[in-house]
Amino acid sequence: MSEAFVPLTDFVNESKSIPRDHPLDKPVAKWTEDEVLNGEIVEAGVVILRTRGCYWSIKEGCSMCGYFNDTVPGGVSDDMLREQWKRVRPILKGKKYAKIYTSGSFIDPTEVPFDFANEVMSDLSDMGVEKVLIESLPEFVNPKNFNYDKAPKLEIAIGLESSNPVVLDKSVNKRLRWPHFVKVCKLARDNGAEVKAYILLKPPYLSEKESIDDAVKSAIDAAPHVDKISINPVNVQKNTVVEKLWFRNEWVAPWLWSVVEVLKKCEDLPVRVYSDPTGGGTRRGAHNCHDCNKKILQALNNHRLGLGDLKGLHCNCKSRWDVLVRQSNLRRNGSEPHGYRSGFSGSRHF
Amino acid sequence: MEPISHEGLGRLLKLDSNLQTPHIVFSQTELSESGNLETGGTIKIGKVFDLPPSPLGLDSDKPPYLQLSKDIAVIDNAYSLQPKKLVEIASSFRTEAGFSRLLYAPAVEPSQMPILAYLGVDIFDDLNVELRSSTGWALESGEWIKNNGKIDDLFAHNREELNRWILRIRNALLNGKLRELVEVTSLHNPRVSQILYHSTQLLIDKGAKVKSNIRSNDLSLNHPAIVDFQDRLSDYEPPAKNMVLLILPCSARKPYFKSSSHKRFFNALREVENYLALHVVSVTSPLGLVPRELEFCYPAAHYDIAVTGKWSASEIEMLRNQLIKLNPKEHYAKAIVHAGSSSKIMTNLIKELGIEVVDTRVEKPSSYEGLEILQNVARMTLTGIPLLNTKDRAHGEARGLAKFQYGEMSDFLIKSEISGRMPYKLRCGDFAAMSPVVGGFGLTLNGAIAYASQGGPIVVAEDFKLIGDLFAVGVKSYKGNWNIGDQVVIKQNDEVTAVGIAKMVPEEMISMNRGVAVEVRHHV
Repeated sequence: MSEAFVPLTDFVNESKSIPRDHPLDKPVAKWTEDEVLNGEIVEAGVVILRTRGCYWSIKEGCSMCGYFNDTVPGGVSDDMLREQWKRVRPILKGKKYAKIYTSGSFIDPTEVPFDFANEVMSDLSDMGVEKVLIESLPEFVNPKNFNYDKAPKLEIAIGLESSNPVVLDKSVNKRLRWPHFVKVCKLARDNGAEVKAYILLKPPYLSEKESIDDAVKSAIDAAPHVDKISINPVNVQKNTVVEKLWFRNEWVAPWLWSVVEVLKKCEDLPVRVYSDPTGGGTRRGAHNCHDCNKKILQALNNHRLGLGDLKGLHCNCKSRWDVLVRQSNLRRNGSEPHGYRSGFSGSRHF
Repeated sequence: MEPISHEGLGRLLKLDSNLQTPHIVFSQTELSESGNLETGGTIKIGKVFDLPPSPLGLDSDKPPYLQLSKDIAVIDNAYSLQPKKLVEIASSFRTEAGFSRLLYAPAVEPSQMPILAYLGVDIFDDLNVELRSSTGWALESGEWIKNNGKIDDLFAHNREELNRWILRIRNALLNGKLRELVEVTSLHNPRVSQILYHSTQLLIDKGAKVKSNIRSNDLSLNHPAIVDFQDRLSDYEPPAKNMVLLILPCSARKPYFKSSSHKRFFNALREVENYLALHVVSVTSPLGLVPRELEFCYPAAHYDIAVTGKWSASEIEMLRNQLIKLNPKEHYAKAIVHAGSSSKIMTNLIKELGIEVVDTRVEKPSSYEGLEILQNVARMTLTGIPLLNTKDRAHGEARGLAKFQYGEMSDFLIKSEISGRMPYKLRCGDFAAMSPVVGGFGLTLNGAIAYASQGGPIVVAEDFKLIGDLFAVGVKSYKGNWNIGDQVVIKQNDEVTAVGIAKMVPEEMISMNRGVAVEVRHHV
């Protein structure tokens, strides 16, 4: 293992703070959004349950992940989980597609007890949900963890982040091994589940160009082993390494042009590759100049839902992005001067 | 590489390929990217050098702060580090990088280049200039100006302008004017002024003392040489006990005693009985108070300020602090203030410290009427003050100066046989004599032997006949510590063979193969 391991681990831990108190009987969030199911656009119900959180974030954690902020370090009792479930059921009723998130791994039995998960799945099945998306670290993708009595079609989302071990090790601080990832993808698919891979765009320390190349390479590597790929531009979450670097101006969130570029380069892959940037258009999320953020986000959304492509997008800031990308491998980190995206026009926008 | 000139922690190096630092590399032709994340690409500075890999996974808040390859040290994030942190890191630049590595700060704004060069950065690049060029801004003397001309021209124009800018930095460094350029760039740049503000102590501790004229202003209150002079005033003692403190205004001509006004003061005072018991201290900004004996000491004779006759609150506070360091209550019996526009302020400040003070209330101190009043006031004030003879006075002057200059290592000078009198003829036996070049007592060869035995800094040189300056290639080792501009003793074969002024810092002498290490003043 590489020597840089230790400093990044410390850095991640020092950046964290203890999550504040949360009500245990309420979920973190719930909402609905458009999704594609079997080629059709449907309304999907999305819920985030409050749990103990990701085991890895308790041990060390990833440099960009601030989801531990929503967790309860002592854990959430089964009763409280059931209470939360009662509150989210209405939003899932009548939906064909459900996304059940926790701030960790849904199929980690120490985080979400199997019995509770089993009840949730059979309830979803009874409600008429056809497909349910859950997230997990690869280490829990084992049939015994999702061998439910009755369940909708299962889609397991795994955060691959990158197929480059150096990026995983020195930039993300994630202990994921590529051969293991390939193995669990096969295991999941052999057991009737679909696999969705998350790939990071611009993890900390990487420059714009390095991160575009890394995301494209990772998507190409992952494509044969998964059913769809979501490109996740890194956004700035509270109490993370990324936030510290961002405060120090050593890294800025990626451009939306970079997201577009990655998606264009992945057009010919045999699986769906799309992106729904968290915090898109804000300073903490992927953004361009103030003039085109909305336009590009709309185009990305249409692309995700299969309603349009990414051709013909233009803005004055595109040429700035070009210049930055051309020199960004010489820049040694993911930073750029303040106000560059808007051409130093001195407006109050970024 | 050969060091040509130093200022602060900055250095002008002549590189093998006839290039000089501070130097700009142009990214399109002189930087190359690396193929992967774990190597660092290359940089061309005459020759092509490997760059260290970028700092993946590291916390810029923790040491080691520099990334090192064989020939290059990189200070990543120099453009964004907290000013205080940057100065802290700058204090360990050379411990981490050594003297033979060039220090490269990537992606820095032109306006920050002078301060970074002042703190020791050797190499800059045009990455940010290129970015800004693409948005239609033109570079002019380190500042950005919105320009709506053709973009194609702008890239070339800005590269050329950047070249001129670095040339200006280099010239300033060569002429001892880098501080001025830094002050200019700090005027409307809060980041640069913060860095400058925090770097004062570092520059006092480690900076080269170039004795160039300080053309001062309000910013210069933090000039390292000025703050150092002010701090060391607390080591100073007047020539004798129970003298009368006489506050006079400063003069445009330096040292003050050579100015026409101070000559007139002297001529008026010498007619007063026991005038030797008057101790002249000049009041000035930004130095504060300068006793007569210290007028040779850098920077008392090397500054210039716009005279306004107005004293700002910060200047008054500074005068108060300096007066406290002079400790009048302990050292003087009475005081006379004859300082024109600053008379009122000084009188009040001295009163605060609880000694008897007379203000001559003269608006034009060196006018005929003013001198007459001064004479009368001096005559009155000196009655009852014990007589001070020439010999005791000279002895006291030498002691005050030696202590100020050499601190705890001044014993050998104080105990020597002191002769002559201020300003030029004062001597400490055959150990030291007044030297305007050194700025105070300059050591003779015998003085060097005594100084070395008291713990003064020693450069050990190879065994050869020393006839001129000592070059870095001839330096074997060193003992003690010094800054550029300090006096050092040269030893060869365990014998003291010369004394001179250091032109490099200790480690630099060892790691450089070219350039003057010690400017020799006396040799065997």
